[in-house]
Formats: sequence, C-alpha cells, structure tokens
Amino acid sequence: MEETQKPTKKGLRKLATFHNENYKKLLIIPLILLVFSFVYLGIFYTQHGDIIQKDISLKGGTSITINGEVDAEALTQALSEKLEDLGTREIYDLVTREKIAIIIETTAGIEEAQTILEDYLGYELTEENSSVEFTGSSLSDNFYKQLLIAILIAFFFMAIVVFIIFRTPIPSIAVIISAFADILMTLVTVNLLGMKVSSAGIIALLMLIGYSVDTDILLTTRMLKRDEGSLNERLFGAFKTGTTMTLTSLFAVLFALIVVKSFSPVLSQIFTILSIGLAFDLFNTWITNASILKWYMEKKK
Amino acid sequence: MVYGEEKMKFKLTWKIWLLIIMLIFSLMSIFITPTFLQKGVLITSVETNSTAFEQGLRTGQVITEIDNQKVSNVEDFTIVLNQKFISGEKVKTTFTIEKADYIIYSEVMPEITVTEIPKTKIKLGLELVGGSRALVQAQDKKLSFEEISDLVDIVNNRFNVYGITDMDIRAVSDLTGNRFMLIEIAGATPEDLRELISQQGKFEAKIGEEVVFIGGERDITSVSRSGQDSGIYSCDQSQNGAYFCNFRFVVYLSEEAAQRHADITEVLEVNSTAEGNYLSKSLDLYIDDKLVNSLLISEGLKGRVTTQIQIQGSGSGETQNDAYESAEEELHKLQTILITGSLPYKLEIVKLDTISPTLGSGFTKHILLAALAALLAIALIIFIRYRNVKPALALLLTSVSEIIILLGIASFISWDLDLPSIAGILAAIGTGIDSQIIVLDEAKQSKFLSIKQRMKRAFSIILGAYFTAVVALLPLWWAGAGLLKGFVFTTILGITIGVLITRPAFADIIRQIEE
Repeated sequence: MEETQKPTKKGLRKLATFHNENYKKLLIIPLILLVFSFVYLGIFYTQHGDIIQKDISLKGGTSITINGEVDAEALTQALSEKLEDLGTREIYDLVTREKIAIIIETTAGIEEAQTILEDYLGYELTEENSSVEFTGSSLSDNFYKQLLIAILIAFFFMAIVVFIIFRTPIPSIAVIISAFADILMTLVTVNLLGMKVSSAGIIALLMLIGYSVDTDILLTTRMLKRDEGSLNERLFGAFKTGTTMTLTSLFAVLFALIVVKSFSPVLSQIFTILSIGLAFDLFNTWITNASILKWYMEKKK
Repeated sequence: MVYGEEKMKFKLTWKIWLLIIMLIFSLMSIFITPTFLQKGVLITSVETNSTAFEQGLRTGQVITEIDNQKVSNVEDFTIVLNQKFISGEKVKTTFTIEKADYIIYSEVMPEITVTEIPKTKIKLGLELVGGSRALVQAQDKKLSFEEISDLVDIVNNRFNVYGITDMDIRAVSDLTGNRFMLIEIAGATPEDLRELISQQGKFEAKIGEEVVFIGGERDITSVSRSGQDSGIYSCDQSQNGAYFCNFRFVVYLSEEAAQRHADITEVLEVNSTAEGNYLSKSLDLYIDDKLVNSLLISEGLKGRVTTQIQIQGSGSGETQNDAYESAEEELHKLQTILITGSLPYKLEIVKLDTISPTLGSGFTKHILLAALAALLAIALIIFIRYRNVKPALALLLTSVSEIIILLGIASFISWDLDLPSIAGILAAIGTGIDSQIIVLDEAKQSKFLSIKQRMKRAFSIILGAYFTAVVALLPLWWAGAGLLKGFVFTTILGITIGVLITRPAFADIIRQIEE
C-alpha cells in the first residue's frame, strides 16, 4: 500500500509547489475564458436573439413519440416541408438495443402535427401507440422567463447565504464568481455543442449552483476558518476532499448518462449539462476560487 | 495490531438507532399496501352505464377469480376473457372479488380495464405510468381566485359525469401571478380529453322532455352562493336516530325562462306525499345530456311566473356534524351543476401531455439502471480514493438508506414521483455523497482534535452547503405553474433527511471505524 501511494503523493507535492509559485498567474486562464464567454454569448445573442437555443418545451410546439419501428430518415424527408422546424430522434433500449420509438418534434400545433403524421403513417395515433407533449408558445415564453427569474433569485439567495457564512467580502465574492463562472462556461459549451436547451436543461443549470458551491464552501472554510497547518497544507487537504467530491459526482453523472443516453432525451440533457458543469467546477474551484482566496490570505498576513 | 484478532465492537448510538427506525418505517410505508399479499388484478376503470358498472364493479377492487379460474396477472385475465367472447353470443361471466361473486351477462367483453396489483405504495408520475396532464388558462382574461376554483369544480363535476374519477384537478399559479387549472389523469387517457377540457359543458334543466332553462346568462341570471339566500338553515334528528341538515339556495332566472317554467308547470298535476305536495314531474338536471340530479317541484310553483326559484335539499349522517358536512357537499354540488355552461370566458389548453403507458415501464427500467450505474461509479471512486472497503461500504449504505427513506416519506404522503421528482432524488443523493466525503476527510484531519470536534467541523461545512442548496431551490417552487415542484420537493426533502438523519448516523459509524 505505502509504496503505491508514495509516487502519487510526490506528484501531488510537485503540483503543490508549482501552484504555490504560479497561482497568481494561473488566474489569467479563467480571466481569458470569462472574457471569451462574454464575447461569445454576446455574439450568440445578436445572432439568435437569446443566450441559448431553446427546444420546444421553451419555445412552444409539439413533440410526438411514436412507439415501434418508424424510419426517421424517410419521415424527415417526407414531412420536412409540411411540419415546421421538424426534428426527429430515435430511442433505443439500452440492453436489447431494440428500437423502441421515434420522437418527432415540431413547432406546429398539436392537431396539425397529429393529422399530418397520421396521414403519413396511415394509421391513427392513440395513447396506445404514441405519446404527445404539447406546449403553447405563450406558456413556454412565460415558462422560460420564470425559469430565468428563478435562476437569478436562486443565485442571489445563494450569494446572501455565502456572505452570511463567511462574513468577509473577498472570500465570499470569490465563491460567487466561481459559481457564476461555472454556469457561464457551461452555457457557452452547451451553445458550442449546438444543444437545444429544454426546461430540464435549465433545471440542470440551477442544480449546478448547488454542486459548485459545495466545494467552494469546503475550500473557503478550510482556508479561512481553520488555523492548524500552513495555508498550503490546508489548501492541499481541501483539494483532496473537494476533487473526490466533484469526481464522484462527475463519474456518477457520466455513468448514468451512458445508461439513459439512448432512451431519455430529458434525462440525457440534465446529465450532459451536469457533467460539463462539474468539469468546469473542478477548474473554477481549484484555479479561480483557490487562487483568489490564496492571494487574499497571503495579503492578509 | 494483529489482523484477524481484533473484533470490532460496534456500538449502536441513538443516531444510528434513529436511522434504523426511519428505515423500518420507510420500508413499511413503501411495501405495506391495502392489497398487501393479495393475488389478482386491480380494476383501474369501469365504463359507467356498462353492465359491469351496474353489477357493482368499481375502480380499486381486486379480481381474484373469473369463472372460478384463478387470475393472478393481466395475462391470465386477458386469456380467460378473450376465449369467452369469440362467438359473440351472450355469455355469463363470474368475477370473484373479495370472496363475493359478481355475475355479468353480456355479448362483449365487460368494459373494465385492469392492471397488476401494485407491489409498492410508491406513486409513480405520468412519465412513468402513462397518463395525461393539461394546463388550462382562460383566453384573454386573468382569472380571480374564485373564478378559477369555480372552474375546477365545474370541470371536476363534468369529468365525474363521464365516469372519469381517477384524476386530480386543481388551481395552480406561477411566479407572475398567472392562474391555471391543472388536470392530471393517471393511466388511460379519455379519448375526447381535448374537447372535454376546452368546452365547458352543456347544462340543461328539463321537466319531462321540455327544456326549462339552460346554462348561461341568458336563462340563469345568477346562482346565489353566499349570504341569506344560500346555506344550511336547519338540522334535526329523525326518529331512527340519524341526523338531517337542510339547505337551500336561490336561482335567479331571466323573465323568459321564468315564463317557460310557468307554462310547463301549469299543466302538471299535484301529487300528495307524506313529505308534502309536489308536482307530478320533477325538474331534471342534465350535463352533456346525462342526468345528474332530479329535484321535486313544490306545489306552490305550479304555473307561477317567478324569476327566483328556491332549491332545497338535505344531507344526512350519523352525527350532526356528518349531516352538516354532507348537506354542505350536496349544496355545493348542486350550485356547481347549475353554473356549468355559464363561464363568461373561453378556455385554452396551453399545455397538454399524454404519455403512453407502454413507454412508462421502459422509463422505470432505465432509471433504475442509471441509479445502479451511478452507485457503481461512486463506489469505484471512493474505493480508489480510500483503498478501504469499510468507509466505502458505509458511504454506499448511507446513500441507499437515504433513497429508501426518501421513497418511504414520498409514499407515506402519496407524493407523485414524476420526472422532476426523480431528477430531484438524484440531486439529493449527489449532494449527500459530497457531504459524506467531507465527513470522511474531516475524520482523518487534524488528529490533535477529538473526533467529536472533527465531526462538528464537518457539519459546519455541510450545513453551509445545505442552506445554500435550499435557498437556491426555493424560487423554482413557484416557477412554471408549479410543474417543477417535484424537483424542489424531493431535493430539499432528500438533503434534509441527509442533514438530520443519515449524515449524523454516518458520522457515528465513521467515528467508530476511526476509533
């Protein structure tokens, strides 16, 4: 046991020394990324009129899931003229790899979509052979706005609690910046991947606030409120605990994602966004937040 | 240390006991159902006005035998019944329900649907069992609280008329104060759901075949619902000991409707009964051409042109309180029937989801697999990090018990586990694991402190994380017409269980492992 652990420990020590010498310079990376994110989102906004690409749960439209084998390609070719913004996706059973159903999304209304599909398929769509989800555009606009408000309020509340816990401005702000950077960078990545965000995706962004603040609070508590050991030792201890936390979450989410990927677009999106966010959390907690905090602590001495 | 000699003395502290008790309670609340250990199939719906319905078959009953053949699953049920109705002749079918026999003669399959008896009390949401959900709003009008609760009553009534009883209709509102009516129906979706919701129904009051008045402001100018003109005015005990409470309310008719009422009643005869003198025909109330109630017309109204008619009725019960409640219920029901068809606005379905039950079962399977995969990943990382089976095992057990307690409480309060709720469970478990890792690491840290002090430190971090998570989630409770409540509820419940029950127990277990 001891032998196997030593080299890794040595490796980590090296990393710690490197970090000790360069932590201020490291802050340039998040700074560049943040600037890039803002610029990118700005351009994205001017092109799309919003900071994300919304799917029909946020834009309004109909999603019809037809059970059984339906050829997605043929259907798209035949109907893309008739159904506005047509998109299809096939879903599979994870174990048997059997095609279970096809999901058809369109911004058309429920009756229109159903009639056109029934004409094409040659049979009636009933609740036995299909599922239908329809969201009116007025509701979805409203829904979207409220989710954004919810995220803003959530973020604001979180910031207040963080201030109450630490009662010192700079460390608190560092936590908040780190959480904000997590969400912002995740959003940019989601856009870069061309994902259409659903209401579930927005919830995933909100979940990120909770997950990212966890490790930041751990880090700040260990650095700020403890006095045993050197600053670096405390940082290193927190790093060990924090990365274990984030890595377990990240792997749990990735494993779950593999399972649901073929089956549930809703859960897939939640898990995808969470994985992206957790990966950025590693970066933002241990580079952004840790560097600001260390700088502050060194200065205070 | 001599390996193998050492016997671990494991002390059950009160915190661990609390966890064990909560676990037992949760397992009981999940698995002890009203149909516990019964074999058969559960009736999920019976077509009203069918022979089966007339013979007394109802939703919720468990069929154990058909024609003395044991039926233990849906397959048995279909096989037995399919064979019988091939010929198209009238045949006799005997259903055994709780040792009583129900006999039905028919040419076609009895119009009932069944499912397997649920093995747990966990209530699965629409995404998992199939069903429909509709969010309804008034077109171009903001509804007041009273208006929306009227609407809920009317639609509830109307669904009952159509024999749909397994549904949940309620008023919901969102962050910006918009009010909606939310309709959720589990399992099979009524075929004409869209019309059923968006049209408010036709109300007619008839005497014999003649229509006296119909729903809407043209005939019924108003229905009194409070104050002097409406309410329970007396309660009495009858000779056989039962209590009666009488109610009355006034319906205001237009001149035109009043005239019609007079013309029709003019020619009716008067019958004398023990309770008083009434006209030979009753006033029959119909919703969508289905009879929902009949009222006796008192002698005094014969041929009289009156724009105010008083409707009286009563409720009975074993105690005065029961009678009062029953009268109140009846009063409310009659008023609701009378205002059906008089909504001064149009309805618009702003969201409609109907989920096929076949997809639902696949969903459950994949979610369970995903949870298993996630737990496996967690176990792997924890083992790699600590190289020790004991804490890894304790951590996994704690997380599993967290899920069990969460499901236990959810089934105890009949919380619908919809997709957002399940996402919430995952979020809570993730946060839980994070906190347990903090406990594990704090236990190893700063050895000069007592283990108790170290645990205290761990909890200061955990509580900080807990409060930020709770406040971050709260706004979502009101967003989006409450459709995301499930997420907020299960996450907060899960992390609260974590902080109050499982984490302290886990800390005690770790303390003993460390010592």
